[in-house]
Amino acid sequence: MAYAYLFKYIIIGDTGVGKSCLLLQFTDKRFQPVHDLTIGVEFGARMITIDGKQIKLQIWDTAGQEAFRSITRSYYRGAAGALLVYDITRRETFNHLTTWLEDARQHSNSNMVIMLIGNKSDLESRREVKKEEGEAFAREHGLVFMETSAKTAANVEEAFINTAKEIYEKIQEGVFDINNEANGIKIGPQHSTAGAGGAGGAGAGGAPPGGCC
Amino acid sequence: MFRSRSWFGGGWGRPKNPHSLERLKYLHNILCKNTTVSESNRGILVESLRCIAEILIWGDQNDSSVFDFFLEKNMLSYFLRIMRQKCGGSSYVCVQLLQTLNILFENIRNETSLYYLLSNNHVNSIIVHKFDVSDEEVMAYYISFLKTLSLKLNNHTIHFFYNEHTKDFPLYTEAIKFFNHPETMVRIAVRTLTLNVYRVQDASMLRFIRDRTAAPYFSNLVWFIGKHILELNACVRNDADHQSQQKLDDLVAEHLDHLHYINDILCLNIPDLNDVLTEHLLHKLLIPLYIYSLTSESNKRPVTSSPYNRDHLQSIEVITRNLEAILTGKTTDTPSRINYPLQRIESDDETKPSVSCVVSLFLLSQVFLIITHGPIVHALAWIILQADLSVFEDGVSKILDMYVSNAKSSVKLEFSKPQLSLEKALENTSCPDRDYTTPEYSGAKAFGYDTDQSSCDLDPELVSTSLPSTSHISESSSIAHDSTEDLVTQIQQVKADSSMTLSKANMPDSPLPDSGIESSSSKVSERNNITDEEKQKLLGKKPGTNTERAAIVEKVLEKETKNIETRPFLKTIFDSLDCSENDYKALFALCLLYALINNKGVNPELLDTLLYSELDDGAKPNTLSSKVNASEDETGSTTSQERSSNDGNDKSESFNALLISKLMAIAVLSCKPASKVRLVTCELSVRLLRTCMQGSKGAVSSRHISSVDNLRTRSAALARNFYKCDDIFLDMFEDEYCEMSKRPINVEWLCMDAAILLPPTRTPMSGIAFEKRLPSGEMERARRAIRTFFLIRELYLKLTGKPETQLPLANPAPFVQVADILDLNDSDLISCDIIQKDGTWQHRFLAVDNIQVILVEPDKQRLGWGVAKLVGSLQDLEIQGDKDDPRCLHLTIHKPRVGASAALPRTMLLRAKFKFDDHIRSMAAKQRLTKGRTKSRQKKMQQIGRLLEVSGVAAPAPAARHRPLFARPALSSVRKHSGIDGDDMERRIRRPSGHVLKDGIVVYRERTTSRESSISRTSSAHTSREGSPRARSEDIPLEDIRRNPGIAAAVPSTSSIGRVQQTIPSTSQHPNLKSTSSEETSFISKEPRPKRKGIVETI
Ligand SMILES: Nc1nc2c(ncn2[C@@H]2O[C@H](COP(=O)(O)OP(=O)(O)OP(=O)(O)O)[C@@H](O)[C@H]2O)c(=O)[nH]1
Ligand SMILES: [Mg+2]
Repeated sequence: MAYAYLFKYIIIGDTGVGKSCLLLQFTDKRFQPVHDLTIGVEFGARMITIDGKQIKLQIWDTAGQEAFRSITRSYYRGAAGALLVYDITRRETFNHLTTWLEDARQHSNSNMVIMLIGNKSDLESRREVKKEEGEAFAREHGLVFMETSAKTAANVEEAFINTAKEIYEKIQEGVFDINNEANGIKIGPQHSTAGAGGAGGAGAGGAPPGGCC
Repeated sequence: MFRSRSWFGGGWGRPKNPHSLERLKYLHNILCKNTTVSESNRGILVESLRCIAEILIWGDQNDSSVFDFFLEKNMLSYFLRIMRQKCGGSSYVCVQLLQTLNILFENIRNETSLYYLLSNNHVNSIIVHKFDVSDEEVMAYYISFLKTLSLKLNNHTIHFFYNEHTKDFPLYTEAIKFFNHPETMVRIAVRTLTLNVYRVQDASMLRFIRDRTAAPYFSNLVWFIGKHILELNACVRNDADHQSQQKLDDLVAEHLDHLHYINDILCLNIPDLNDVLTEHLLHKLLIPLYIYSLTSESNKRPVTSSPYNRDHLQSIEVITRNLEAILTGKTTDTPSRINYPLQRIESDDETKPSVSCVVSLFLLSQVFLIITHGPIVHALAWIILQADLSVFEDGVSKILDMYVSNAKSSVKLEFSKPQLSLEKALENTSCPDRDYTTPEYSGAKAFGYDTDQSSCDLDPELVSTSLPSTSHISESSSIAHDSTEDLVTQIQQVKADSSMTLSKANMPDSPLPDSGIESSSSKVSERNNITDEEKQKLLGKKPGTNTERAAIVEKVLEKETKNIETRPFLKTIFDSLDCSENDYKALFALCLLYALINNKGVNPELLDTLLYSELDDGAKPNTLSSKVNASEDETGSTTSQERSSNDGNDKSESFNALLISKLMAIAVLSCKPASKVRLVTCELSVRLLRTCMQGSKGAVSSRHISSVDNLRTRSAALARNFYKCDDIFLDMFEDEYCEMSKRPINVEWLCMDAAILLPPTRTPMSGIAFEKRLPSGEMERARRAIRTFFLIRELYLKLTGKPETQLPLANPAPFVQVADILDLNDSDLISCDIIQKDGTWQHRFLAVDNIQVILVEPDKQRLGWGVAKLVGSLQDLEIQGDKDDPRCLHLTIHKPRVGASAALPRTMLLRAKFKFDDHIRSMAAKQRLTKGRTKSRQKKMQQIGRLLEVSGVAAPAPAARHRPLFARPALSSVRKHSGIDGDDMERRIRRPSGHVLKDGIVVYRERTTSRESSISRTSSAHTSREGSPRARSEDIPLEDIRRNPGIAAAVPSTSSIGRVQQTIPSTSQHPNLKSTSSEETSFISKEPRPKRKGIVETI
């Protein structure tokens, strides 16, 4: 349970681009390619290691709240990282990126790391948005870019972890004010509370709890 | 594939297929065998719970028997049993349980399955389970679970969560206990949930929300907003040095979040809820804290003499108190309504919390920018604009009566801690004899603001965050409800009645403000030094001379200045507009006025206070011109007969003239070299000036126009101070224009910026944008002057309705465009290789026009003609020699500024090394380009000079025109077909067929049909050649080089290097260098190109 840092992420993008699936794929790897199952969640947490440090990622999906302006704006502010997702098989989801980005830039703190994700890369045959277009958009707006598939898990780990790495670097550079929890970063408890929670594993959201039976 | 396969080992007879009914049965078996959670079976339980979620979702989509089995075995009860165990309650297991539930509820598509899941109340039991919310992870999963459920709410599912009979709504009541949780994400989830609940619009449920929870929830909400604000205030007060900007940012953002949240609730338009919320906001926060703070500072200042400040010592404080009394009303049992306020005045003195005037203006601006709910903003606007001394002193009883009879005001006007913590209050939701819409606030301890105590600390009494939940949503307590059901209904009945009247009173056009206006203004006008009749006279007279006119304005101003003393809040705002020391407060006062005027919820008539001009009212008859003389010096006492004609206009006192004079003062100050007015303040006051001068009628009087014209002259004079033939001035000028057009002020964004809350600073190192601080250094002072000039010029043009014709600085049209075909016969061309950074290179010819540098490629179809490959602006050209190779120049070429794009920042087209045939050509090119650049810049500087009325630049230079175009057959130039769209094509065709560039370059647009082009080809070639007198209006020949023998001598003549083989420059061929204009620098490249008659000059 003890972590050096906790980073809060949000996932944004049009409906149906696969936000919830990406979230679950990352935190739980449940999205099985063999069975055509659609499972997603709107919250998840998982522990990762960067630079030998335990870092907990908390990911909050923002879906379904777009109707309320107050909600979106506060979500942005509370996050250290954002995954901006579009669906490579639906061009309109790509076209809406500018609006999402404007919103994010306007409401988030200026240090928030934004990662652009073109999801559903497994559906190559139905592709409507070229990879180069995603790259160009990312370059133009200073984002990191990656194509992922929540279905095959391709690049999903990388997307979340690279974002974390960038946040981590920013912390090292002293850009992020880590003492301000409103930025979406929390410093872990100084002493690892050994007894707390008993199992010491990463909980359901984390890596699979070690050993049983 | 399934990652966790290994966990179950082999032998337990586990079905192979992870997605099957058998597998679920197997998992059920595991649950049955492990009813007691222990260290040893925890792992397997967690994994089983994970699998169950997956199988259920699979079943939901593929096999209904799976779900049937789950329901049949009542498997949710296992979940409950597990989490209720001590060990099972460990975060490890709980988190998995919650996640399984999350997955379940989020992914189930089959409605029937969902209903079954919800039907047996297990979910409610899970909701009220006392999870260990001190565990961060449990808390996060728990609140996500609640939020997920709230997203499933609709008119059907609501009944699974809200029990109409027992008046139980655990999903909502449990969630709102965390409304002030320290974790942002948790707070956001709670807000989301509440909004999701409200929007279901189930009447019974909403009634429950209003009667049982609204008062405690909203009073706590409002209380915490207030605490935040006090913290913000402390932060501003203690931070003159901009040390805690980050914290301030957060506090400001937090306040905005709150306002947006409240606005989101109000926008759902649920009357019952809005009434309660409005009441709490107004009475517990906006009036007692925000509005009250508007007075507290002027209170400390010595009050200026005014007939209405007889007892000014008590004035402002008393006013607020009385206002409070008026708006408060009181509980119905209080015997004497009118005495009530007096008692209140005595009671709590020093304890009243308040914030600084700056903070209060800032916060009120935000309120008016965000909230549009009529009853709130209208009431606030009314208080700010109309609340009037006379009302406080004499008119109380009348207003009070009216207000009290309408309002159910159960809430005392005071920023005080809710007496009941939300937790406690909610606990009591199950006791129907208590009524939370009328809590006994009267005895509430006033909140004493203690500087030492960090007010952001959560008040343990009030918030439940870390406390285990104490609400008892159990069967036993709900039984208790039933016995008193009747009483509840009765109470609700009463309430429904009273709330109906309240909602009427809250309408934007409620009787309250209007009657207030009437009673107050009639009183004021009677006391006025200038009587209505006299005003009438003043207005009626035809202004014969300027001085007479000025005298009238003077009088009206004088009157308004006196009258404003009776409007304590408006006076504070007006006083804040004074920028003689600095514009710290003024900026916020401007924001507030702007926000107030532009708020849709404010009744437009109320705005007459600011926008209605008594002076320029066209409706006034000018019948009284004869009385002009009489009124001159007896302003104080005139009484006259023409009363009747005037009565109709006496609806409200206007302060339009006073406001305009204050705004003008800011603008005038902005035009002073050492002014302390920031650009943002200037821009905003200019914006407001426009609104106020246009007034409620939209017509601008000539008086205003002439004063703004005057202002424009001042601003031009200010900018003129910096007008130098300094290279940078032109760039600054154009850059500022483009900045201004790109980013007109956005007040909403401005008010999100916490940085402006700190005293104005000068240094750019503060990280504050240029507009929001004072200029630092000469450069920035110049920029500020230029920008001020633009702002005021724009105001002038807008008021007069004139179009802008001189900005952005225009370039003489027409232009050469890329792909144009140019007749380059007999033109100065310099051959060069363009070497890009990446090593690629192209061969081009360099030509120079008045304002452009053009790179051409020979036209393969016609000798002597070339195709423009790149066209850049001479003005922005950057030229640099190469240290190592004298044949080379480094050029940075930007896009020409044409038409609309002239207001955009310049874009770079090319940055590359240009290699010429030899150092002489290189030098020639450099000279030519440098001169061209200088000339094109000089032209623009002349334009600026005319704009700024710099003496000596007054006359528009006719020379800017090109030499007359000689007649050419219209079709002569048509060339290649290119895919130009229709519009563009037409435009091009209509243009004159060609124009002459410097040095005889003739431009022909591409035509679009090949037929045309074939015609043209035959006819054009010679006409253009023969008919062209050399057009050399602004040429920059190479005389300079020649004239300067020093340079010439210094340059070694290494002529025929490399590709330059065919032409060897020879001086001898120049008979009359100066008189003829036939010199060319047409260096010829390797390409076989017939040498033209051109004389290549040597240096
Ligand atoms: N082929 C394929 N399908 C995917 C992938 N990711 C998601 N999907 C499918 O896309 C659909 C939408 O996925 P969700 O995760 O619910 O989308 P969302 O962005 O959360 O949508 P909202 O919650 O409505 O905003 C589901 O049917 C998924 O099965 C992917 O990588 N590949
Ligand atoms: Mg989703």
